Amino acid sequence: MVKIFIDEKSFEVEDGITVFKAAKEAGIAIPHLCYHDAFPPEGSCRMCLVEIEGLPKLELACSTQVRDGMKVFTKSERVVEARKGVLEFLLAEHPLDCPICDKAGDCKLQDYYETYGLFESQFREVKEKREKKAKIGKNLIHDEERCIICKRCVRFLKEVTHTQELGIFERGIHTSVNIYELLPVDNNYSGNLAQICPVGAITDTDFRFKTRSWLLKKGKSICPLCSRGCNISIEYHPGFPHFQVPKKVFRIYSLENPDVNGFWICDLGRYGYSYIDENRLDRIMIKKEEQKIEPTWEQSLQFIAEKIKGLNFLKKTSQIALVLNTWLSNEELFLIHKIFKSDLNVESIFFADRPQSEGDDILLTPERSPNRRGAQEMGLSIQPVKLETLATKTRLLLVFGSSIQDQFSSSDIKKVLDKIETKILFASHSNDLISFFDIVLPTALIAEKGGSLTNVEGRIQKFSPVFEPSGDSLPEWMMLADLGREFGINPSFYEQLKTPEAISIETEKEIPFFREKK
Amino acid sequence: MSENILTQQFSLENVFKIDEYVKQGGYKAVRKALQEMKPEEILEEVKKANLRGRGGAGFPAGVKWGFVPPVDKPKYLCVNADEGEPGTFKDRYIMSHNPHMLFEGIIITSYCVGIHSAYIYIRGEYESIAQRLEEGISEAYKNGFLGKNILNSGFDLDIIVHRGAGAYICGEETALLESLEGKRGNPRLKPPFPASVGLFQCPTVINNVETISNIPHIILNGAEWFVGQGLAKDGGTRIFGVSGMVEKPGIYELPIGTSLKDIINVHAGGMKKGKKLKAVIPGGMSAPVLKADEIDIKMDFDSLVNAESMLGSAAIIVIDTGTSMLDVLKVITKFYSHESCGQCTPCRIGTSWINKIVNRMVEGKGSKKDIDNIVRLASNILGHTLCPLGDAAAMPILSLTKKYRKELESRL
Repeated sequence: MVKIFIDEKSFEVEDGITVFKAAKEAGIAIPHLCYHDAFPPEGSCRMCLVEIEGLPKLELACSTQVRDGMKVFTKSERVVEARKGVLEFLLAEHPLDCPICDKAGDCKLQDYYETYGLFESQFREVKEKREKKAKIGKNLIHDEERCIICKRCVRFLKEVTHTQELGIFERGIHTSVNIYELLPVDNNYSGNLAQICPVGAITDTDFRFKTRSWLLKKGKSICPLCSRGCNISIEYHPGFPHFQVPKKVFRIYSLENPDVNGFWICDLGRYGYSYIDENRLDRIMIKKEEQKIEPTWEQSLQFIAEKIKGLNFLKKTSQIALVLNTWLSNEELFLIHKIFKSDLNVESIFFADRPQSEGDDILLTPERSPNRRGAQEMGLSIQPVKLETLATKTRLLLVFGSSIQDQFSSSDIKKVLDKIETKILFASHSNDLISFFDIVLPTALIAEKGGSLTNVEGRIQKFSPVFEPSGDSLPEWMMLADLGREFGINPSFYEQLKTPEAISIETEKEIPFFREKK
Repeated sequence: MSENILTQQFSLENVFKIDEYVKQGGYKAVRKALQEMKPEEILEEVKKANLRGRGGAGFPAGVKWGFVPPVDKPKYLCVNADEGEPGTFKDRYIMSHNPHMLFEGIIITSYCVGIHSAYIYIRGEYESIAQRLEEGISEAYKNGFLGKNILNSGFDLDIIVHRGAGAYICGEETALLESLEGKRGNPRLKPPFPASVGLFQCPTVINNVETISNIPHIILNGAEWFVGQGLAKDGGTRIFGVSGMVEKPGIYELPIGTSLKDIINVHAGGMKKGKKLKAVIPGGMSAPVLKADEIDIKMDFDSLVNAESMLGSAAIIVIDTGTSMLDVLKVITKFYSHESCGQCTPCRIGTSWINKIVNRMVEGKGSKKDIDNIVRLASNILGHTLCPLGDAAAMPILSLTKKYRKELESRL
């Protein structure tokens, strides 16, 4: 540790770190454009200049290492003037088309103008004309006029994806970032470029011109589209309830987590969010023959509880079958394990997930669901569904999720389901399966509920609801706790499970893996 | 009394050939260094000689060599023959007239630092000179001065000539390294300095052609003699390249500390007939300009720094009263905005912005406010850029607008 002074306050910091990091730890923000924590310092934007006592020139905070006794000034007149000068240069050749720029609101040039703004342009010349909307990749539009040559994008493609689709062309004022000949940015991480671009030079075709960033609310969540468990921010418009305009997700941004995803997410996770708003199952569906019950949560769960109780009374719980999926949270899997395996000794527990696909050596895993590891650690064996087995001995079938339709044709599923007396589906989306079931219960998505997931490496990550569940849907853990109360061996145990945290505490008590990983 | 060191053989027509060079006493320094001296002794001698870099920055060569860490990695020598500073044309004379003197310097430097691969990074336009270097190198191999086990000393060395592609920035040492590695010639962020992390991430010594060419003479005649040729803190001679409105433009090897007035009026034959001196740029275009009444000055690093200019590459550009300083300003700003690598903000945008203003002034559409703005913008470049190109652009602009403001205003 060394002692340094930043703006005349002393701080103990780790030896060898940069002035920028030291200041950040001390809560002092230093403006920067080219610097990004993910990459070695580039030193080209010149925004992070600071004054260091004893040194004649201003130095870069991003690349200068701290020394014991160093005195750094981040707000001295010289520093402020230098930053003003740099910002003035950048804005001189900038198109200033903020009103039509998607980055407006998230733009560092805008932010710094607030602090270091000159408020009157001295630029009387003609700005360089450049390409305004070059399509440089499937998801990306490049505006060369807005580009400040920070090279974050170039460095990302060099150091993270190793694909190097972007390079620097020309020199001086004509310097530009571009693709080589006609080879587009083509990799599963391209969306990160739009996110790390500090200005609006690279924008996302998916987001382009659809909304303004300041209208969006943000919520932390975990990407469920593979088992990496990348930390994400779901950015959505809350809608206008008064005018029946529903909430709508506009984009997914990655959140930094050095232990899981670093700074990035893949395009699959970034762009695969339409499922959150589209085609949702918002109401409880009851088949005609079951009209004797009302489509309410109380009556529906009561109905299921009665069926289970009946089979349990007859010691015929072997006639219950479950089809689960690994989108269920640790807490939900625990409740299922507790109720159906421990309390009821149900043996026919299967899993139906979206089929595995290709992964890569960056973040994406082959699994297309977030909690396979959690299910395994819970002591549930991940057996695929066997339609014949279901057909022969099942009287009550509970299906969580609709991935069974990824594995079998609708007609095959219908043939089997027709032979089963009572079939219940817990589903988040409307689909072909719905008409085959007696009761269909709408379920909340990970973005709409709380709980935890265990990623491919065995790391347990908690998540909280970003927004309310769609329509009448509820989190599965809530329904399961209700069912447990109705027919469980020990109703008072389930009585107290009113939050995911409460379930999590019980999980840790009973399952060593979760206790040790805590 | 001083003598010509580097240019003494220039009048010999065939000295670029190894036979003639050896006949004139060539490669004696290499023999002495490799057979009689230890690397440490050479380093000590060069340090004592106070040989300061001839490329522009004037950093003491011996000190630079001393920075090379004793690590178990290949080490490299890069001879900077990019000679891009406007007004500078000295290295081309050394390389075309006396290439083996340069090779001797390279061999001794490499032996001293423990280098087995040396590169000569030569500006692309010097095509025939590069050819001459190649021919000279192959002669040196044949005569056992290059390759394996040079003069049975056990020391191996290869010299590789690499031609640049025409960018001024590649004369900046770290941009030169990038270019040599086959990349875009953008300067690197320092530290680390090339002495510890240079070419191919290995310790690297980078010296100018003229600097290296002094080495054999220091070895043969000793540091004391060398210092005697110039000044105590600034040993040896300089090859002054005089261009512009003088009777005899050309190169003049003179002791460091020779008066600028004498160089122009005596050595270069004075102003051209009918021309009157107006200004002098004393150290390549990046050096702040001196007015006609400021030329009674010694041409050494410290004297010029005291006069708020610099010795740089010792390229003296003589400007007469018939030349408009606005046109000079236009040439300067056009050059730097054209040659800015575009990597860092102040240089990329600042040099272009200033050039745009100056162009407007030349068209007769300027105002006094524009001159103020140029000064403000150049001050915002100065000291704020990643490499010295920003300073090189800002310094002449600042000095010119300060010293010739009245004239500039009269052109508005």
